[in-house]
Amino acid sequence: MHDEERPSGVEPLLERLFAPVEPPERLGARVEARLQSISQLAADELDGWELAAMRDPRNWVRPALAVLGGSAAAAGLVLLGLQRRHRAGRHDDSHSSAQAGGGSGR
Amino acid sequence: MVEPVSTKAQLDREFAELYRTHARDLYSYAYYRVGNHHDAEDLTEQTFLQAYRHFERAQRESDGRPLRPWLLRIAHNLAANHYRYRSRRPQTTLDDNSPLEAVHSTEELVAGRDELARVLDAVKRLPDDRREALIMRFALGMDNREIARAIGRSDGATKVLIHRAIKQLEGVMALAEAGG
Repeated sequence: MHDEERPSGVEPLLERLFAPVEPPERLGARVEARLQSISQLAADELDGWELAAMRDPRNWVRPALAVLGGSAAAAGLVLLGLQRRHRAGRHDDSHSSAQAGGGSGR
Repeated sequence: MVEPVSTKAQLDREFAELYRTHARDLYSYAYYRVGNHHDAEDLTEQTFLQAYRHFERAQRESDGRPLRPWLLRIAHNLAANHYRYRSRRPQTTLDDNSPLEAVHSTEELVAGRDELARVLDAVKRLPDDRREALIMRFALGMDNREIARAIGRSDGATKVLIHRAIKQLEGVMALAEAGG
């Protein structure tokens, strides 16, 4: 609720001044790419880990964190990828249905 | 065995929904806060990366409340770091590179829209915290409680912050009008 302040002449001007700004199309892909690189770093860290070091329990935390970070980032990849594929699919659907003269999309 | 997988899948779906729902708000905030598209993209990206890392806990602790203030809080903190970093590396000031001027063309500001130009000038002179509260209120349509959660102040302090910001703008506008 915006009942705390009485409407003034300035407020409509501020609404015009601070018009919402659409993010660029590439932003979703950027977030996805960053998640992918984090995932890759985590995988590399595990690859480079010497098994000998694993004999010392004090060294278990780092690879465990890498696994957690990697799986979290990988999951992020999937969800953003799905979003893009979904959007692309919708585009294809509408494109193909336009070509086919109709049809039901998902 | 199956349940954790489905819970994780559900969490991911919910994060995707969070992204879809709030990408524009986050980007608008970032843009008006940092002043250019390049840094706004960086800030929005970093916000969602951090959000993903803590999403499950945030959901658990949100108790059903909207997560937009939490997202904005992340962006608010990252933007503060951005300014701290920039203050150590003197570059252009906010005034030299105003996102508000970029959004509103010179034509729009000049062609019979003196009021908009005056309020733009006044907003640029506001202290950072007041301008930030106005961005959340007017670009994102957040209420006082949401803004309070996002900037880490009490509801009362936020109400005062916005009230003073608007009063300050009105004062500057009145002076400008009186001055011709």
